[in-house]
Amino acid sequence: MSATLAVLRKDLRLAWRDRSGWLAAASFAAISVLTYSFAFDLAAQDVRPLLPGVLWTTFLFAGIFAGGQSFQREAEQGTFDAMLMAPVPASAIYFGKALSNMLALIVVEVALLLLATILFDTTLITADLILIVAVGTVGYVSLTTLLSTLGSRARARAVLLPALALPLLVPLLIAAVRATGASLGEPAGTAPWTLLLVVFALWSSVGAALLFPMVVER
Amino acid sequence: MDNLQFLFAGFAVFWAALLVYLLILQGRVHSLEREIGRLEERLVESTEAADRGNEATAAGASERVAGRTVEPSAPTT
Amino acid sequence: MNVPRALTAAVHGVYGLRWLVLPPATAIAMFALLVGAVIAAPREIVEGEVQRLMYIHVPSALMTYLAFGITFVSSLIVLWKRDMRWDAAARASATVGVIFTAITLATGAIWGKPIWGVYWAWDARLTTTLVLFLIFSAYLLARAVAGPNDEQVARYAAVFAVIGALDIPLIHMSVSWWRTLHPQPIVFRPLDGPALPDEMLLVLMIGFGAIFLLVLWMTSLLTDAERLAQRTEALRARLDREDRG
Repeated sequence: MSATLAVLRKDLRLAWRDRSGWLAAASFAAISVLTYSFAFDLAAQDVRPLLPGVLWTTFLFAGIFAGGQSFQREAEQGTFDAMLMAPVPASAIYFGKALSNMLALIVVEVALLLLATILFDTTLITADLILIVAVGTVGYVSLTTLLSTLGSRARARAVLLPALALPLLVPLLIAAVRATGASLGEPAGTAPWTLLLVVFALWSSVGAALLFPMVVER
Repeated sequence: MDNLQFLFAGFAVFWAALLVYLLILQGRVHSLEREIGRLEERLVESTEAADRGNEATAAGASERVAGRTVEPSAPTT
Repeated sequence: MNVPRALTAAVHGVYGLRWLVLPPATAIAMFALLVGAVIAAPREIVEGEVQRLMYIHVPSALMTYLAFGITFVSSLIVLWKRDMRWDAAARASATVGVIFTAITLATGAIWGKPIWGVYWAWDARLTTTLVLFLIFSAYLLARAVAGPNDEQVARYAAVFAVIGALDIPLIHMSVSWWRTLHPQPIVFRPLDGPALPDEMLLVLMIGFGAIFLLVLWMTSLLTDAERLAQRTEALRARLDREDRG
């Protein structure tokens, strides 16, 4: 536990020092929402049926691109192997990195919700929406952090990560979009979307934490 | 209902997929062939180099035998 | 002799017989399937000739799960035993699985056009199969970035295959809540037995057997090729080390 916290502190410091990457993710997210507004002419019509999809595809792409660099700095500087040799369980390394990615992404996502609230005149900063966004973020960041360990093959990783992550995230995307739509008052059917979102988040974080040591083992 | 052309298309797709499999397999066999060819070349090169080395030591040994009567050591392979 | 070792020996014994058993058995079964599907089975009254695609579509769909099941189990063994031989089996079965998923999707679309009026519908089963196709195509891509003996990438790919296989129930659940047009299962119905006429059922059963054998044969052939690639690669690496050392 304390090891996880230590790793988390280190990773947050690293994320702060390396904040250009996260700023790039945030500006990507903002520009993506603007692009969607032009593409679907979101200003001219009722935005609520489309907004959940716009938000979640933006979250996922921003998360995949930003989270894909999780271990890049460590791999480049060779500190990753040092960290693996340190007397810290590999799962603590995983949790530290995943938590720091989640925190950074939730900041980006809340900023995006604020931007969308202003742009589309729809109240998006509500308690249940932030909860849905947080659970969904846990669900996808767990997997993208695990998948970003495709080692030093940086070129391959940049191309492969979306192709690897997005098919796995289909259930999360559907559940998150429907749950978000429901909280905006859209018809979402009778299916328990929030429950599916929680199940996915649990499944992906437990599965990824169990499998992470096997991927990074030297 | 006459939709024989769809049946034909379906079976064509099935055989096409099996053909793709055969092409994948052929690709593997081909790269294996190349790899083994390269290994063979290196084997031939290294045995030739070893043979040349052996001839040289054998010649040196017989000279020494001619000069002084020294028992030639067994050529190392 | 303990039980796991006896089991391993039995598996090896059966696997050793593959060149004796699989080619003739597959040839006979495939011949029976084609004759049965195209000639022997009666013409379906409502759907017409195109219904004959069912005899390859349904078995291919089911045997996709056999292939990806082999990928899943082999990947677990790669992670557990650190045995690269199982990585060869995982890659081979994933390739065969992707091929049969493509067959399933394509024959389904070709059947769908005259019967449903559209090639593609966002039905739960179709969507699950499509996502399955994407996941294991991505697996093959990820595994292809490294050579046959790269254990690091092999383990990464194995973890991805395990996650992908465990994701299937969640995908199926989410897309069936999201959309549900595909004909309900007509063979494996729990209560009142299959709803197909006897001749059709017989041809379909031959289809299951034939595609089963075909998938096994294709997988074992490709596994042997991958295994040979691993061995030659290891040989070359050893020669390189000796040359340098």
